[in-house]
Amino acid sequence: MTELLKISHTMHLEWRYGVGASFHEFIAALRARAQILGRRCPGCQRVYLPPRPVCGNCYVELRDWVEVRDTGTVRAFTIVHTPIIDPTTGARRPSPYTMALIQLDGADTTLNHYLEASDPTKLRIGMRVRAVWRAQRMGLLGDISHFTELTDE
Amino acid sequence: MRRAAIIGTGQTKHAKAHDDMNQAELVRQAATRALSDAGITFREVDAVVLANMELFEGRALPEMWVGAGAGGYLKPAIKIATGGTSGTSAAIAGYHQCASGLFDIVLVVGWEKHSEGATQTGMAMVDPLWDRNVASGAVGNFALSISQYVAERGVTPAQAAKVAVKARRNAAKNPYAHLQIPDLTVEQVLRSPMLADPVHRLDMCPQSDGACALVYAAQGVAEKLCAQPAWVRAAVTRHDQPYIGDLDRRLVTMRTLRDAARAAYHQVGIVEPRKQIDVAEIYEPVSYAELAWYEALGFCAEGKAGELIDEGVTEMNGELPVNPSGGVLSSNPVGASGVLRVAEAAMQVMGRAGAHQIADARVALATGYGVYAWSDVMILSADT
Repeated sequence: MTELLKISHTMHLEWRYGVGASFHEFIAALRARAQILGRRCPGCQRVYLPPRPVCGNCYVELRDWVEVRDTGTVRAFTIVHTPIIDPTTGARRPSPYTMALIQLDGADTTLNHYLEASDPTKLRIGMRVRAVWRAQRMGLLGDISHFTELTDE
Repeated sequence: MRRAAIIGTGQTKHAKAHDDMNQAELVRQAATRALSDAGITFREVDAVVLANMELFEGRALPEMWVGAGAGGYLKPAIKIATGGTSGTSAAIAGYHQCASGLFDIVLVVGWEKHSEGATQTGMAMVDPLWDRNVASGAVGNFALSISQYVAERGVTPAQAAKVAVKARRNAAKNPYAHLQIPDLTVEQVLRSPMLADPVHRLDMCPQSDGACALVYAAQGVAEKLCAQPAWVRAAVTRHDQPYIGDLDRRLVTMRTLRDAARAAYHQVGIVEPRKQIDVAEIYEPVSYAELAWYEALGFCAEGKAGELIDEGVTEMNGELPVNPSGGVLSSNPVGASGVLRVAEAAMQVMGRAGAHQIADARVALATGYGVYAWSDVMILSADT
């Protein structure tokens, strides 16, 4: 059978994203003070990160802001070996790298972020970690470069 | 509500790349085969439901294929896109349309051509302020949740590999399956490249091109057109919170699948799933997920999924065969993958599954899995 024609096409697209009232506050605090803000549900008392307008479990509006610390506990982790395109840059991420679900102190949800440990064999669920901040903050989660083991507790 | 049944199914061969057909042609081949299986033509179809994740092909308005592909001009037609659950959500929507009394015959078609785009890019288009920063594809997210599941349940890489082996061996009996590896071994799975600890390449589903269709008919119509329809006895959908970090130990708890299964079992009167279900087609994008779903679906007690696979309970000749078609681990055209689970469950109940037919299958379970933790459950039966 004849091999049918295939064409390649590339698109460079730009989007705008209205962040909403909750993220607006979150971003402002992150940029101005390296402060991480969550929201507490008045019903179940769960502290949500990222902050959002409504508790999905209780259907209650969230109004109370809670400051969450930049230290936390690893709840899950994996070492990624496969090549992954970084969607924020379009470039291939150097691998292997470790990512983790980290429960920040004061939050009930977990945060998905990079984890760097001096000794990869020491990685474990339950390990204590702290955020390593970039010198210049943009108000993005990437203002935290990665998390690293917390040794001075 | 009235009863509705599946009276025909059809699918394309699933493959790494279907350069021989465009999307509309793929849709048309599956739809035509399903209608032929049902013994009807496009003319008799009252409404059409499509399932596709257009993000993966980078081609907007896949609704355009509804005419040339699914014969839907001048008919009511909708498209459903809910990630991995797209196909089961479409199957449930088609059932709702038929059982509601609005339409007597409904055609459902799901498809995907992963070869046309960048699936990983599609997966990365999550919340730009939150998950996108470290997005690492489906495998990265699964590997995180698997680390928790393994830590709590103690399942071994070899037990997960057995799931991967079972899928590809079963697929060798399914002429439409993408990955058919009749002689695959646990050692080969464990030696395949590590994608993200502890997931090896052969633990993970492929990306496939393919389409699958099914035809619903209402009670009163179905019996006239089909000697053994697959009657829908339960169809349940559960969604959950938006971010992976919202979910408490996702694979361990999997509250959406647990709740959907509990509701479906209640509707059908199933109290001992392992005994009362004859065959299951479940949506397992990765070997470890199948083990976690065994627990959520009540096929075994908490923490006993590893034993279930070790004892061969879910093998083709076991007490409760799971994924005789080869499952998502063998064929994964995402928009079609959920339709495939339902179609394969229907084929078993109708006695039309060919070389991967389970003898005397009268009650079949199908599930869908999507986004971080969305679940669909359908139960089909030979009896109304």
